[in-house]
Amino acid sequence: MSSVSVIIPTCNRPQLLPRAIESARAAGTDVEIIVVDDASQDKTAAVCARLSGIKYIRLERNQGVAGARNVGILASSGEFVAFLDDDDLRLPGSLDWQVATLAAAPEAGFVCGAMLIADQNYQPTGEVSAPPEMCGDVFWQLLELDFPVMPLSLVIRKQCFLSVGLLNRRIPGIDDWDILVRIAELFPAITSAEPVGIYRQPAPYSGQGSSVQSDHLACAANHQLELFELPRVKTLSKSQRQAIRRRTINRAADTLLWGAWKSLPQKNFGFAVANIATALRLNPFRAMRPAIVRRMGKTLSERLRKRNSDSSGLTSPN
Amino acid sequence: MSLTSIIITTHNRPKLLRRAVESAFAAGTNLEVIVVDDASTDETARVCRDLTRIKYVRVERNQRVAGARNLGLLASSGQYITFLDDDDVRFPGSLDRQIKLLETNSEAGLVYGYAILVDQSGAATNQSYPRICHQGDVLWELLAQNFIPCGTAVFRRSCLDRVGLLDQRLAGIDDWDLWVRIAELYSIMALAEPVMCWRQSTPASQQGTSAAGRIVLQSVQQFQESWKNLPRVLSASHEMKRRAWRRFSANMSAHLSYEVLRALRHRQLAQATRNLFALLRLSPAAMLRLLRINNAHSAR
Repeated sequence: MSSVSVIIPTCNRPQLLPRAIESARAAGTDVEIIVVDDASQDKTAAVCARLSGIKYIRLERNQGVAGARNVGILASSGEFVAFLDDDDLRLPGSLDWQVATLAAAPEAGFVCGAMLIADQNYQPTGEVSAPPEMCGDVFWQLLELDFPVMPLSLVIRKQCFLSVGLLNRRIPGIDDWDILVRIAELFPAITSAEPVGIYRQPAPYSGQGSSVQSDHLACAANHQLELFELPRVKTLSKSQRQAIRRRTINRAADTLLWGAWKSLPQKNFGFAVANIATALRLNPFRAMRPAIVRRMGKTLSERLRKRNSDSSGLTSPN
Repeated sequence: MSLTSIIITTHNRPKLLRRAVESAFAAGTNLEVIVVDDASTDETARVCRDLTRIKYVRVERNQRVAGARNLGLLASSGQYITFLDDDDVRFPGSLDRQIKLLETNSEAGLVYGYAILVDQSGAATNQSYPRICHQGDVLWELLAQNFIPCGTAVFRRSCLDRVGLLDQRLAGIDDWDLWVRIAELYSIMALAEPVMCWRQSTPASQQGTSAAGRIVLQSVQQFQESWKNLPRVLSASHEMKRRAWRRFSANMSAHLSYEVLRALRHRQLAQATRNLFALLRLSPAAMLRLLRINNAHSAR
């Protein structure tokens, strides 16, 4: 019996999947790899049949990422569970130290590392998404969205699911955040700034995550009200709850505006507009702070000036 | 015979639980009984401590029935799975006979049986459910009506790898939804004998039926959004699909009409009104039929 099960849900991406599987295999010495094929309609099954040493589960009917992860959890035999998306990578040896850390702290629910952000060709962009290094209660940070949640950087004790339930299929995209909040409510966590995985950032044109950031944050802000029903939140006074709510919405609006600002140089205007619109909806006053408006205007005008000078040059936009 | 897991979900009903657990152990030879305590706030945990042979799973945050059943699956290790409610009773040896059917028919995914209906006091009525045991490819029958009592169904664990787990957001029809998904891919068998006592709720018991209106509307939504889009249903002829919908909605409105009358008879006016509104949304024509039934009733 392996100690850790890596669950890789996949749907119609056979060209990327083998690389993710190999990275998971290299990430630990005693790893069970479970590939949950979420009703792919291409050659995923054939690709998986050629790979040895994996447990291949074929879902005949699409269950969504959360549903597929749940099926993977059910099929896993390890004491610990790690999630890996079919286009992300685990770093060599990363599972070994995470499992050792979690095994040494029997009261902890999960261990979380950092991850490197990479572009579509798995080239690191230099950005790192790291949680604050600490050990203990991360419930409030998680609830307030003050904690980078990526299923890729986690190893979770499977026993925790029995206390708080499985992943919620109703909230696609934020099911990982939801389960982590619910686990952190009851169990302490161990976080570290050491990188454990490579996150392949969706390209704006891949249709994978372009306007998704605004959808996810809006959905998270909405879903937070449901998480306010958790007993630990209920013990707070009304003003404390309002303060959490305020901080969360401000943070979500800031993240969206920052994302919009970053996407402007890439001429990804649809993304920027979706982000700004959602930020405005979440908190109009914060989204229209003079500093932000000025910064946006400056970037835009620079772009326009550059484009005007470009159009007289050699570049052909088409 | 491979290991069977009986998953009993319970929430604040320690009095009835013991009987359900004992009946589960007597139902077969090679089995494990998993009790999922869905965040009970009473002495359920203590009662379970006395039940030594069970595998006890304590859920700290209430998951409702479907979520708790999924956690039972996670804690189980049997090749065959069956669910039992905490107020139901399995008959001795019934499980072994059902599993024998599954073991001799490798293409079947699920086997069910009859349930004897029992009232709130535990006295057996002279009714059993379902009236007719459909077998084989039952997808279209199952789309019209859930004729598989949850506690009587025994299915292969491997089915779940192909169709997924129970859908947590469906309260009250989560089992029906799973049977539909299994029946789409597997043939279904029935053991034509009673295998359990199924305790029926009454409008006053604040259990199940009080939410009949909500459950029916949810079933309609599930039919429209999910069942209609199952590949086998999608590829069926237009006529088949129309017929399935007609039978389904006729059954749903008949069920709701029955619940309205039953609530009226028990003087549960609020409940009757709620169900009446649900019926109105589902099928205004069914209201006329309801009036006719009621007239016939009072004439008698």
